[in-house]
Amino acid sequence: MAEPGERPARTGRSVLTGVLIGIGAAGFVDETVFHQLLHWHHFYDRGTSAAGLVSDGLFHAFSWTAVVVGLFLLADLHRRRATVPVRVWAGGLIGAGGFQLYDGLVQHKLFGLHQVRYGVDLLPYDLAWDVAGVVLLLAGLALSRRPARQIAAPPW
Amino acid sequence: MTHPPGAGAWLALLLPATAAALYLAGWGVLRRRRTAWPRTRLLAAAGGLTVAAAALSPPLVAGTGEFPWHVAQHLALVMLAPLLLACSAPVTLALRTLPRRPRRGLLRVLHSAPLRVLTAPAVVVPLELGSLAALYLTPLSGLLHASPLAHVLVHEHMVLTGCLVSWLLIGADPMPRRLSTPARAAVLVLLSAGHGVLAKLLYAHPPAGLGAADEVRAGAELLYYGGDAIELVLAVAVMAEWYRRTGRRLRAEQRRALSAPVPTR
Repeated sequence: MAEPGERPARTGRSVLTGVLIGIGAAGFVDETVFHQLLHWHHFYDRGTSAAGLVSDGLFHAFSWTAVVVGLFLLADLHRRRATVPVRVWAGGLIGAGGFQLYDGLVQHKLFGLHQVRYGVDLLPYDLAWDVAGVVLLLAGLALSRRPARQIAAPPW
Repeated sequence: MTHPPGAGAWLALLLPATAAALYLAGWGVLRRRRTAWPRTRLLAAAGGLTVAAAALSPPLVAGTGEFPWHVAQHLALVMLAPLLLACSAPVTLALRTLPRRPRRGLLRVLHSAPLRVLTAPAVVVPLELGSLAALYLTPLSGLLHASPLAHVLVHEHMVLTGCLVSWLLIGADPMPRRLSTPARAAVLVLLSAGHGVLAKLLYAHPPAGLGAADEVRAGAELLYYGGDAIELVLAVAVMAEWYRRTGRRLRAEQRRALSAPVPTR
């Protein structure tokens, strides 16, 4: 993996940072594009169970807290010159894909929180939603196997 | 929740005015001693007390008959003002400037068992969410119309609970316990998830006592998104504190490594 003379990169922090930012970014897209711009998703659906409300509340809160924590972790990695960009991207795709799949399978289907879109045949929308999640997840996993290199060695 | 706006209504402003006078007095003592006090803390105090005064001012209170205005007042008094006041470190200022005897009393309160219990996350989170649920999802708010005293006491309780949350998460003051950064983030996620769930329940089942269903729904959405915005600021404040603290440690490590005669790694 590491070339001779190069320190093997420590990648755990970079992956974690990416996952947190990825979860937050997916949550942000969900809220901005589907709730606010397209108005496909509804603020509240009559069919929502109590468990669904709690799950949605926790996930919504977790996703935007995750993006704040993730961005500060990224700043910290950078000042330590310990960022491994390929691992941050891998984590980001895994986080975003995981969020998308959880949202599509557990929140939309299992808890019936709200649907992708209303007044249409749902199957193609659900498939597109979940396939997008799987593609993001697989791309992230593939990236996480690529050789990792730090952007620079620490100065000390 | 409507009060007839009269001269008496302005009395509510005495509280933030007194707090401002005390804070300025403490700041004056430090200045005379030529002791530095961060200007950001002074600004935070001014901001927090201005927000509190605006939320208590009779024109806004008169509007709280309409539910969305009531929610705006709630967000300002219970979340935004405590957030700013927690940054202003009033307890630290008091500890530095009070005469010996009251100072010792304050220290005794800070080290007391009840405050230690009150600042436990397992107490703060249910206290905050339970109070909010009781206020908005039970007939309690309807009962408060009848008794102005109960009204004041309940809102006092909400403000104090909001302060407890802000001080625990981002307060610069000494507290009986300090939470680790992951614990703070976890408390914030739980509180914010609870706020979101309560706002949606309020939206779904508007209680009759709070006003017309449409108004309550508009208020519930404001509670949801406004609460999120303030909690976002709280999250940034929690992480900024962590970033500064670890930065100091990192610089110390780097200095040690550079001054060491033989490289340690």
